[in-house]
Amino acid sequence: MSQICIRVKDLLKTYKDLIAVNRISFDVRAGEILGILGPNGSGKTTTLKSILGLIEFDEGTIEVNGVSVTRQRKEILKNVGAVLEGARNIYWHLSPRENLTYFAGIRGIPEKAIRERATYLLESMELSDVADKEIRQFSSGMKQKCALACAFIFNPSILLLDEPTLGLDVEIRRTIRDWLLKVVKEEGKTILITSHNMDFVESICERILIIRRGEIISHETVKSLKEKFSRKHFRIDLENEPQGRLLDEISALGNVSASGRSIRIELETANHLIPLMRILDEAETHMLDFRTVENDLEDIFLEMIREEAE
Amino acid sequence: MKFVNLIAAEAKMLYWSLRRYMFNTVAMVAVMFLIFMGMFWGVKTIGGSGVTEDSLDSMLVGYVLWVSAMLALQNTGTEITSESERGTLEQLYLSPMGAEKIFFVKAVINMAFNFVFITAMLYLSMAATGRWMNINLLYLYAMVLLSTLSLVGISFMMGGIGLIHKRIGSVNGILSFGLIGLMLLPTYPMTPYAFLPFVAGAAAVRNSIVRGHVYPMWWYLFIAGNSLLYLLLGLLVFGKMEKKARRLNKMGQY
Repeated sequence: MSQICIRVKDLLKTYKDLIAVNRISFDVRAGEILGILGPNGSGKTTTLKSILGLIEFDEGTIEVNGVSVTRQRKEILKNVGAVLEGARNIYWHLSPRENLTYFAGIRGIPEKAIRERATYLLESMELSDVADKEIRQFSSGMKQKCALACAFIFNPSILLLDEPTLGLDVEIRRTIRDWLLKVVKEEGKTILITSHNMDFVESICERILIIRRGEIISHETVKSLKEKFSRKHFRIDLENEPQGRLLDEISALGNVSASGRSIRIELETANHLIPLMRILDEAETHMLDFRTVENDLEDIFLEMIREEAE
Repeated sequence: MKFVNLIAAEAKMLYWSLRRYMFNTVAMVAVMFLIFMGMFWGVKTIGGSGVTEDSLDSMLVGYVLWVSAMLALQNTGTEITSESERGTLEQLYLSPMGAEKIFFVKAVINMAFNFVFITAMLYLSMAATGRWMNINLLYLYAMVLLSTLSLVGISFMMGGIGLIHKRIGSVNGILSFGLIGLMLLPTYPMTPYAFLPFVAGAAAVRNSIVRGHVYPMWWYLFIAGNSLLYLLLGLLVFGKMEKKARRLNKMGQY
């Protein structure tokens, strides 16, 4: 078992009458990527900023590598990098190289000490060709990659990322995902990540926390979550859009969501397929396609959020 | 050594920004110069023969003082507002050096740039008006530094308020013009106005350079004490406001 890198215990943060984070506890182990999922306003960013000491919390303790954030915040910051506002975290009127030099400098690191690392980061983020160009002219994805490079310039062992893929296209998301997986694998970095992008979280995190209204409603591995919610889902494409009585009859067999000519149905057992086929046959509805669908993280997330709300 | 690297980083940042916004830099010098020339010719035209050489000299030094005071006063408050607007403020707070140290170094670097700026303004104005004064630049710099440190303190207070309320440009504007009134107040040997920030130092600079007044050492110590007091007060208020901003999660929100 790897050592605990970040330990959050009974964290409570309130704003007047609103409870932003309600006594949550969790650990992040060294060398892992932990994902925090939750709807808007669930307390994800508050948790991240509390770990960084950017928010003063009411109760509880946060320790990073055994050091208390309330007592020795500056000590903690020597090993922690963060991207909190995405591409807005960097100076757009400067070039990537100038940004890297500046962010190292305000940590007391001289330019010559980071020259090699800056070149490495610019290369791995595919920014070498534009290293001396003004960031203002860049696409959102390039700006985001530059912000990540700046957070990594002093070689921190821990990285906290708030919505790192927000508004980015698939290609950039993939580059960022591959790069984060690489630094965890090759350099043993620890990453705590919040995201709305389920595919991204599923592809990068081994463990995830699901937060709702400031409380943890799930804290387990992606694998065990999927096992827990592994009900049979089927997707059926019909010739005509199912409506009225037909839809009511199908809905009686299990949870159904219909979209145009496609229906997605959750059945407790595959035996329920027989009455389903009978209903479709009686309605003289032709099936164009039929397949089994595995629950993805998005389904599980939505289901958990729905269950909690009920 | 880390502190030296921080100073180097801030100096580079200022250089990169000035270079990137070269047009704005040149325009700033031109506008300040044109304002002075407008004032100078206005006073000469309206005052006619009643305007003495002393009053023109006083205006020249007063203007230079006002410019440096204004730049010192607006420094930290404006920096915090623009960092917050950009989204980079929280990154500064993630430095183990401490944001207050970063902002202090920013203020010092900007002040050093202001020295270059006011020297250029001074000589440009003297050349344009044909009024050449014999100025001890070292004395001028030392006194400007001594007296404007109090305004750096006020600027930190404004910066702290900026952390919570974000937009403080209008207050900064009022304070900047209020400085003109402050600079005309009598302070020596000892009036209640001398306890205000910047006032005693500004009067001492003007009277020494223009009228050749010589002040006793205790008066300079008083000016230094006044500046130090306001600087510490500014840092204290900044610290309190920063704590409040952390409590209210206002650090990164604009």
